[in-house]
Amino acid sequence: MKKLDLRLLRMIKTTKGQFISITVIIAAALCIYMLFGMTNVNIRNTVDFYYDLTNINDIQVQLIRIPQGALKEINTIEGIKEVQGRISFDVPLSVQNKDEKVSVRIISLPSDGEKINKLYYMNGKDSAVDSDSVILLEQFAKARNIRPGDVIAPYINGREHKLNVSAIAASPEFIYLMENDQSLMPANEKFGVAYVNEAFAQSLYGYRGSYNEVLITLEKGSNIDDVVEVIEKKLDKYGVKRIIKLEDQLSNNVLTQKMDGIEQMAAAIPVMFLGVASIIISIMLSRIVNNDRMAIGVLKAMGYGNIGVLSHYIKYSLMIGMTGSIIGILGGLLLSRPFTNIFVLYFNIPVIRMEIYYSYMIKAILLTSMFCIASGLFGAKSVIRIMPADSLRPEAPKSGKRILLERMGFVWHRLSFSWKMVIRNIARTKRRFILLVFGLALTYAINTVPLYEGVAIPQMFNLQYGVYQKMDYAIDFTHPMSKSVMVDLKKLIDVEHMEAKIEYPFKLTNGWRERNVFIIGVPQDTSFYEFRDSSQRTVSLEPNRIFITKALSKTLNVQQGDTLKIKNFLPGKKDVEVEIGGVIEQYMGVNAYMEIETMERLLTEKNLITGVTLASQDQIKDKLKDVKNIASINSVADMKTAFLEFLDTMILATRLYLLFGGVLGFAIIYNSTIVGISERNMEFASLRILGFDKNDIFWMITRENALMALAAILVGIPMGMGIIKGFAESFSSEVITFPIILSAEIFITAAVATVFFVSIAQLAAYKKIHSLNFIDALKSRIS
Amino acid sequence: MKNILMRAENLSKSYQMGEVTVKALDNISLEIFEEEFVVILGPSGSGKSTLLNILGGMDSPSEGRVFVGNEEITNYNDRKLTGYRRDSVGFVFQFYNLMANLTAKENVELATEICKGALDIDEVMEEVGLGERKDHFPSQMSGGEQQRVAIARAVAKNPLILLCDEPTGALDFKTGILILSLLHKINRTLKKTVIIITHNMAIGDMADRVIKMRSGKIIEVKENLHPISPERIEW
Repeated sequence: MKKLDLRLLRMIKTTKGQFISITVIIAAALCIYMLFGMTNVNIRNTVDFYYDLTNINDIQVQLIRIPQGALKEINTIEGIKEVQGRISFDVPLSVQNKDEKVSVRIISLPSDGEKINKLYYMNGKDSAVDSDSVILLEQFAKARNIRPGDVIAPYINGREHKLNVSAIAASPEFIYLMENDQSLMPANEKFGVAYVNEAFAQSLYGYRGSYNEVLITLEKGSNIDDVVEVIEKKLDKYGVKRIIKLEDQLSNNVLTQKMDGIEQMAAAIPVMFLGVASIIISIMLSRIVNNDRMAIGVLKAMGYGNIGVLSHYIKYSLMIGMTGSIIGILGGLLLSRPFTNIFVLYFNIPVIRMEIYYSYMIKAILLTSMFCIASGLFGAKSVIRIMPADSLRPEAPKSGKRILLERMGFVWHRLSFSWKMVIRNIARTKRRFILLVFGLALTYAINTVPLYEGVAIPQMFNLQYGVYQKMDYAIDFTHPMSKSVMVDLKKLIDVEHMEAKIEYPFKLTNGWRERNVFIIGVPQDTSFYEFRDSSQRTVSLEPNRIFITKALSKTLNVQQGDTLKIKNFLPGKKDVEVEIGGVIEQYMGVNAYMEIETMERLLTEKNLITGVTLASQDQIKDKLKDVKNIASINSVADMKTAFLEFLDTMILATRLYLLFGGVLGFAIIYNSTIVGISERNMEFASLRILGFDKNDIFWMITRENALMALAAILVGIPMGMGIIKGFAESFSSEVITFPIILSAEIFITAAVATVFFVSIAQLAAYKKIHSLNFIDALKSRIS
Repeated sequence: MKNILMRAENLSKSYQMGEVTVKALDNISLEIFEEEFVVILGPSGSGKSTLLNILGGMDSPSEGRVFVGNEEITNYNDRKLTGYRRDSVGFVFQFYNLMANLTAKENVELATEICKGALDIDEVMEEVGLGERKDHFPSQMSGGEQQRVAIARAVAKNPLILLCDEPTGALDFKTGILILSLLHKINRTLKKTVIIITHNMAIGDMADRVIKMRSGKIIEVKENLHPISPERIEW
């Protein structure tokens, strides 16, 4: 081994504490990169494979009724490959616990064999269904502990049908099992899917010879939007309710969002970590080079060139990078299989495509090398400026200029001698101080995120379910009913207040921008809904206007006063244009609202409602469980639970943030302190001779770090605000909106956390100071 | 007739110290001959270290030229100057300047690894009397031993010339004499040109030639027709 490399290895050994602390950061960065990066690819591949295997539809059309014969006509549309019709409707399921409201979607399987959205049978064998058997969706069967051979009893048309479960299967349509757009997350035990024989399904609601859903796959290379346009026209006569492209299909949409989240994590966190590690490395190296001035001079005198000496120090940084890479990559490789498994399980995909992507290893190493070489160069570049002749003379004292503060006599004279030294020392190494403050400020800013989350989530909760929506229950009917049912309901339950509700899906369009949403019609004098704009001013519901949520206004690129076109899928109803009366805040879900009478007049039928909202202390669920025509009863408590569960992955991510923020803060302070101590050995030795003891010196360093922490917190506050804003925006989606909250509480608590992490690092520094022999420093001049 | 190894012409060197210009060398010319033992004498601030650094390619003059053989090193670029230091010059410093985390032998290897025609390290270690201590780290050695490692490091490269900056300055009298004897032996047996700079007048007695400096100028050059052996020097 080259002797210079040997020197490097021994240098690493003597600075192992620092070496390890930076290596850990890099290892963590690469582990996350590998883990999330490969998991992302694996999940995407798994999903693609599963979709291919089961031949997932490209388009789903929901309609009032289409005769079986009309499918042939669809098949002639250019670009369409296969067409399959089916019956689909949601019904309540009778279960043992009468308080529980469980519903199942009954979906028919074609009599001539499945072509599209084929079921994946958990036992590997296909299974046929006859008129008294069903195939049950896996998630639901698992959640309710139903096995083949068991019997389930759905209420269909007011009658309980006893059906044998003949098999358990998974479906690519329900990887993420959610009832509808308004559900925030799966509740596998509350909603399931049961596949039945086609003739049986058709007989139940009088669909003989016809369907209410059509599944379509496309030829390769055909334009989906063109096809959708043609379908819309051709099928209009069959009462098209919705045309859903695969990308908008609920399960696929959620899946894509979650995968995108993983991908973002894979990209952002490692870069942030490597960035901080680079800052620490370059500070550390610049200090090492400074300490090694004499050695560098000797090396140059012996005939080592600039590149040789520079690369000696860059190798230090590369060693950190490579050690970190190896540990991180190994960690990533070891964890990626269980990690992917967890995700695949979490997403309910019965097949798995798992590969190790060596390209990620190469990328990881390249990425690290890039950062390490850059930080090494930045930190050690002063090597070039060191002239061999100069370096052998003792370094000239740093210019002892008066600093700004000294001119403020009033302040300066009140400072103790130690404080003066501390402040002058900082003033002398400004650039380094700034870098350290920046690194520590980043730590502080990272710490604000989980704290923000702690404040934001309860606030969203309280606003969404205490102010914006004040009902206790929302009841949906199986089909539109006359307003008079409200009177009937009031007879069945004790109600403090009840309001009618119409909730229907429509397509809102603004030019080429469009979005399928539920428009909710509520009485103009509603006391359950309160609408506010982004400045929290009340927005009152006016007739002949539509009110949309902020997320929707962004998607459609419209503002108050603009006009939106509402595409009406209801048979015999025309599309209308309506002016936007206001843009409202809503944290959960994406909706539009209208005054109920306007909605009846413009979009739906007079006097028909699809549900009610109510305030009541009564046992609503219990009392209404046997009532016909009720599809679902949601309590606010249910919604709150769903809300929290929806946020689970985000909460986990922010906990990681806090942990990583702590590690970073520790590494920064520990390294800068340790290097600072060895760099100033001489100075400290002189102080010892003057009568300072080890504790005095420790307190001097503590003061420096305290000043640094203070400066970092000041810088970190605006940085934290920026990160919070970025976080709120990146985690906000159409479905959920995070408000930007910048309360003092967040920033004070983050300061306490930062001080805590800094203090832990200080303790390590304390140990180091006590183990150093300062007096030796005065005697030796060995480089 | 002795062969000229090195020739300096009208060397001047000025440093800018704040608003004052300090003239470290003031129009110096001299010649160094092959296999010669030269002592440059002068008080601190006389410019002797600056002269040594310029001759060794560690510093460049403000004016004037230095020739080694027929090559002018003063117009070398950084890379060629590094090559010159690597292959032609051996430095010995007052404070040894060994790498603390390398053993005695490794310190020597550090220098020989990069140059052409290096001598056998074990032999050199024996020669400087450190055959037994070569695996010790600098912190485990006395000052004299460390200086012997430094000399071995300079000699093992098999350079044209050995430049020694106050090699006994940090040592006690007895050890100092041992170091001088070693340098003398290297000059006589290995036929290496040796230049020592010192403020210690007594060392001049062992030199073939003594060059006295003051305030950046050469004030006297004295040929020593009968240099005495280092063991007889006293101060």
